[in-house]
Formats: sequence, C-alpha cells, structure tokens
Amino acid sequence: MSTAVAETSRRPHIDLGQHAVVLVVVSILCLVANTVGAGLPVGAGLVGIVVLYAIVMVGLMLAKWMPFYLPSVAWISLVGIVATLNGVPGSQWVVDQVSNVNFLVLATPCLAYAGLAIAREEIDIAKTSGWRIFIVALFVLLGTYLGSVVIADLMLQWQGI
Amino acid sequence: MEALRNTATLWRLHLAVLVITIVSELIGIRKIPIGIGAILLLPLLYAFVFGLLVNPNVVKGARKLIGEREVKAATPLIVIAIMPFIAKFGTTIGPAMDKIIAAGPALLLQELGNLGTIVIAFPIAVWVLRMGREAIGATFSIAREPNIAIIADRYSLKSPEGAGVMGVYVVGTLFGTFAFAIMASLFASFEVFDPRALAMACGVGSGSMMAACSGALASALPEMKDEILALAGASNLLTYATGLYAALFIALPVVEKLYGLCRPGDAAGAPTYAKGE
Repeated sequence: MSTAVAETSRRPHIDLGQHAVVLVVVSILCLVANTVGAGLPVGAGLVGIVVLYAIVMVGLMLAKWMPFYLPSVAWISLVGIVATLNGVPGSQWVVDQVSNVNFLVLATPCLAYAGLAIAREEIDIAKTSGWRIFIVALFVLLGTYLGSVVIADLMLQWQGI
Repeated sequence: MEALRNTATLWRLHLAVLVITIVSELIGIRKIPIGIGAILLLPLLYAFVFGLLVNPNVVKGARKLIGEREVKAATPLIVIAIMPFIAKFGTTIGPAMDKIIAAGPALLLQELGNLGTIVIAFPIAVWVLRMGREAIGATFSIAREPNIAIIADRYSLKSPEGAGVMGVYVVGTLFGTFAFAIMASLFASFEVFDPRALAMACGVGSGSMMAACSGALASALPEMKDEILALAGASNLLTYATGLYAALFIALPVVEKLYGLCRPGDAAGAPTYAKGE
C-alpha cells in the first residue's frame, strides 16, 4: 500500500484537459512558425500539426494510464515511432502529413517560453555560485558532447559503416 | 472550462511568444563564419534571447508587459511546448529504423560518453578552480532533472554537492541550447567526426538541447537531415532509458572516488566553501 502511494506521488500528475487546451495554443504557434519560417502551405501544415497533436495526446494518455512510469516525452516519442514504422497500417500517410511540418520551427515557441521562464531564483543561484560554476558548466556541456561524439565515432569506424 | 480560463488569463504570455516566434522566424537562419569554422544562428536561439529580453527578471522595463505570474506559468509550458517537437522527432525515427539498428552499438555505447563530463570538467573544477565538494555535484552529469533528483536524494540540495548540481543546471538552462547549437555547428564544420556521431551526441541533454543541437547540425548538413534527426531522437530516447542509471551507478561513484583521492580528509557533506577561496 505505502509503495503504491509512493509510486503515484512520484509520478507527475497529468491533467489531460489542461494539456489539451494548452497544446492547442502551442499548435497554433507552431503552425504560424511553420508558415512564416519554413514557408510551407498553411493547409498541409495544419493537417500535419493536427497529426502531431494526436500523437502527443495519445502519448500523454499512455503516460497517465500505463501501469508503469515513463516520462511523457518518452511516450510521445514512442507513439511517433510506432505510427511511422514500416508495415504499420497508415504509417505512410502519417509520414506524408508530418513531412509538411518543419521540425526546426517547432522548437521556436518552446525556446521563447524558456527565455520568459527564467525566474529570479535562477538568476540568484547563478550569481551566488559565481563565475567558477559557469566555467565548470561550460566544460560539463563540452565534456558530455565531445565524450559522446568520440565514442560514437570510434564505434562507427569499428563497425565499418 | 477551467482549463480554458486558465489559458485565457495568460494571454499576455502567449501573445509575447507569438510575436517572438514570428520575429525570430522572419530573421531566419544566419551563418557566421569564424576563423576555425562556422556558427549557425537559428530562430530558436533568437527566440530564447528575445524571451529573456521581455522577461521582467532580466530586463526591469519589461515589467509593464509581463508579470511574475506569467513567468511562473511559463516554466511548465516549456515541457508542453516541446511535445509537438518530440512527436515530430518520433516520426523521423520510425522510417529510419533500419539505419538506427545498424548504428545500434555506437548508439548504445555513446551513452557512456556522458562520462566525458568527468574527464574534462572534473579536473578543471578541482585543480584549476579549486572547488570543494560542489565539484562532485557539478561534474558527475549534465545536470538535468533526473540528475538533480539523484543529488537531492543522496546529499540534499542544500549541501555543497546540491549547490554544484543546481549551478550547472541553471547555467545549462540558460545557455545549454546555445552551447549545444554552437558546438554542433562548429564540430560539423571541422569535418573531423562522422556527422552521425555528432547527431547521436545531440541526444545527451534535454529535449530543447537536442532540438538546438540537431537543428544546427541539420542546417549545416542539409543532405543528411533525416538521418541526423533520427539518430539524435533515438539517442535522446535512450538517454531517458539509461541515463539515470549510468549517472547513479557509474558516474556518481566514480566522481566520489576521484574526489576522495584528490582531497583526502574532506568528508561527505562537510561545508567546504571556505577552502576554495
């Protein structure tokens, strides 16, 4: 009993109604970006965005109702993969529709929210931890990226592909 | 209805994002050649900078436009706003499944590359910058949410280790997308590494870091766009699956051991702020 409680309290609560509404706003922003930035036709872009919206909502439902926990972004990703796998019914249609949505423009609204979300506490932490943590953080980012690049590169060479 | 009302009352925030999105997309992708390579400036980077410029905590004058309530509301929106992007990423993985399986061993093992933080950042923190136990929290991982959870669980966030992980988290949040986009476009222009390796490494951070990184990479190498996106997306998915365990069972014990060797006698949780000064 206590573990079940712990399990549910650790799992972030997903309000599907709230998400559905917010995602409409986000989808409109994405459609605007797709039209203005990528110059793709509005109609085709709209269908593509609606398909992505459906994938997101199915992913959120799985994240909410599946008996084991995975982050919602992982579920959404999995739904997107399964919907476009060769041999899955309708996968070619999904691939065709989402090809009218440019991936890069989808990140623009998100980063705008990120810039607007920086709170005073985060600025304070950055100030008190000072310049040393800033330098270390840059090396952490570089180290993660370079470490992964080097290993992946060596493995690809070793595999000869 | 409740949900509709909640969203509607935040119209200033969403309107600001709409205007920022349009302006950023109109500026478009710009390429800046620098001596050793080229940096790509992407709309998503301008969007972040514009977001900061109308953030009342950064620019005081913005308070007329955006209030503290909007700033608070924006944080959960970051995760929701990245969801269509993640969905699109999923749809690039499905059709490329053959290529991903072929690259499987590289994809799996490059997750261990996250330990590169220890190789590069730990010596700098401990020997160059003379940091104390903050160095443990700061350098054992890329300091995203699961890694914060690990440190909070083990040391609490009020400890030096907690200050370290939070510091890197904040810097990563502020500059991580920027840093990843710039690293990706620079490394791509060096032409030393396989572009597929550069793509896989894009998936090691948060969703927005992956977005910026693979976006920069795909813009630098447009002929490989689909493969880049598929590999970055698959790598990011694997990071969700394995990253937590690699950090908990490999990275953190290794950093603790190394720190013990470098600073014998500096016990866990002891305040060490004075030492580095």
